[in-house]
Amino acid sequence: MARHWTFGQRLGAGFAVTIALAVATGAVAIYALRTVVVSKDRVITVDSPLLTDAERVRTAVEGKGGAVRGFLLTREDRFLDQARAADGELSAALDHMRSTASSDETRRQLETIGRLRTEHQQALDNIVALRRTDATLDNIAKQFDDQVIVKRTQLDTAIGEFTATEARLLDTARTSSSDTASSAMTLVIAIAIGAILLGAVLAFVLARALSRQIGSAVGQVQSSSAELQAAANQQATGAKEQATAMNEISTTITELLATSKQIAESAQRVSQIANQTASSAKTGDITVDKAHDSITGIRKQVDLVVNHMLELGKKSQQIGAVLDIVSELAEQTNILAINATIEAAGAGEAGKRFGVVADEIRKLADRVAGSTKEIRTLIEDVRGAVNTTVMATETGSKSVDTGSKQFGDVATAFKQIASLVTTTTEAAREIELSTKQQSTAVEQVNLAIANVAQATKETEASSSQTLSTASQLAGLSKDLLKLVQPQA
Amino acid sequence: MSTARELRRAFDAGFAAAIGSDEVAREDLLAISVGGHPHAIRLGEITGLVVDRPIVQMPSRIPALLGLASSRGAIVPVFDLAALLGLPRATSPRWIAIAARARVGFAFDAFAGHRRATVADIATSTTGPDESEVLRDGDRQRPIIHLASVIEQIEREAERGER
Repeated sequence: MARHWTFGQRLGAGFAVTIALAVATGAVAIYALRTVVVSKDRVITVDSPLLTDAERVRTAVEGKGGAVRGFLLTREDRFLDQARAADGELSAALDHMRSTASSDETRRQLETIGRLRTEHQQALDNIVALRRTDATLDNIAKQFDDQVIVKRTQLDTAIGEFTATEARLLDTARTSSSDTASSAMTLVIAIAIGAILLGAVLAFVLARALSRQIGSAVGQVQSSSAELQAAANQQATGAKEQATAMNEISTTITELLATSKQIAESAQRVSQIANQTASSAKTGDITVDKAHDSITGIRKQVDLVVNHMLELGKKSQQIGAVLDIVSELAEQTNILAINATIEAAGAGEAGKRFGVVADEIRKLADRVAGSTKEIRTLIEDVRGAVNTTVMATETGSKSVDTGSKQFGDVATAFKQIASLVTTTTEAAREIELSTKQQSTAVEQVNLAIANVAQATKETEASSSQTLSTASQLAGLSKDLLKLVQPQA
Repeated sequence: MSTARELRRAFDAGFAAAIGSDEVAREDLLAISVGGHPHAIRLGEITGLVVDRPIVQMPSRIPALLGLASSRGAIVPVFDLAALLGLPRATSPRWIAIAARARVGFAFDAFAGHRRATVADIATSTTGPDESEVLRDGDRQRPIIHLASVIEQIEREAERGER
């Protein structure tokens, strides 16, 4: 999972560990300081005041003894006042000592001191009272030594024991505080060393991981920067080409606008011409109807011609049949004449006259045969002409039919033309209107193209800026890569 | 084309001239077509010309014999003239010329007409192994068939067949 941690998480984790170590170090240090402070406070607030108070008690005891001695010497009351002041001081010191004593031993010693102080005070009061009497000084001195000095010595001893006890406790507290401070210092040093080592390890690991990842990221940033540079170059080039294209488009649209206006004018003229064409189509429709009637008449005449020609063909066939008979007769006549000639030749001189007749008959037969050939040829020509004419007239009839049908188609076409011309007129008007709308639209397109051209220029500038930024980014990535990978 | 007046004049002239007044020697011939080729036969070598006569077929060793036909009450054998001359035979020759030397008929394809030729119109040709005569009929050359020679040829074939 640590592989997927972000830099912030890794740095945060490292700092968290470092802070935890610092907190531990601080806690240990605070604990040690608090222990030392407690020991110090105990020394300062308990043991040292007790020693001081012990000295105050000793001084007050000394002062009270001195004042009683002054009274004993002078019998002046002012010494007794001093003695009472010293006793007050003693009492206050003892009260303070009782309130601050912390151990049973010291409290027991303080009870002993208090009891001895009372006994000492009782002895002093007895001496003072004795002095107020007429007792002698020797007696007084003797009583003083017997009573006061003993109590004083016991009191001093108790105070000395208390002072020794407190000195011992003070020394013990000091030693304990020093030991605690030393242990805390050792622990703090150990934790600090551990924190330093852990920080160094974390720093090394983080630095290595971050260097590797940042290096990889920087490499990708470099690659991306190069691609961005290339893309920005292409975009700039494309923007230039687009700007050029936009200029060409703008020029073309200007020409298109002019062309649209010309189209509108042409459509207007087309509309006028269509109106004239519609009028002409109506006139042509009437003319076509008349022509259709004429063609119907021609059709009838052609039918008559065809019938006559067919009749002529039949007559020609009949003539041919008759001519066959004539031809047969001529052939037989010729045969007869030839045979007659042969017979005449065999009849000798008498046959010569008959031969002349037979010869003439033969000539006539030859001529009849020749004439029948000519007639047959002529009849064949006539029949051919008749057939050709019939075919031509039939073709003409079909042409007339076709022409009639075509004229019908023409009439229908004229009507369709008239209808289409009307439609054309409407279409021309619509074209005119559409062309005007188109001109308006083209003007708007021209304006839009101008805006696009401006946007393209801005895009070009933006591309240049992008290219510059990409170059700067590439430089920055190199610098960053040098920062994380100096050998790079 | 001759007019009717010219025909009348020629017809009258034919009877106006005296018989034998034409001193130029003339010879009558018949222009015929044999095997699709133009030929001529002398009128003096035949005794008659008939057309479309029925021919009764009969078996014979002579391939050119078409059969028998009647002519003026007589039965004559009819030979295919094209076959005798070695020309392509017609499917059904219409015309029959009856020879004067022997009562034999020769069938041929078509009859073109009567020709009256002078000596100058008949030429002698020596291109073949035998001498032959040719009639100049306008632009055409018509070989003249000697029916006597043809009859002799038939007789020789008949003799060979008998042997």
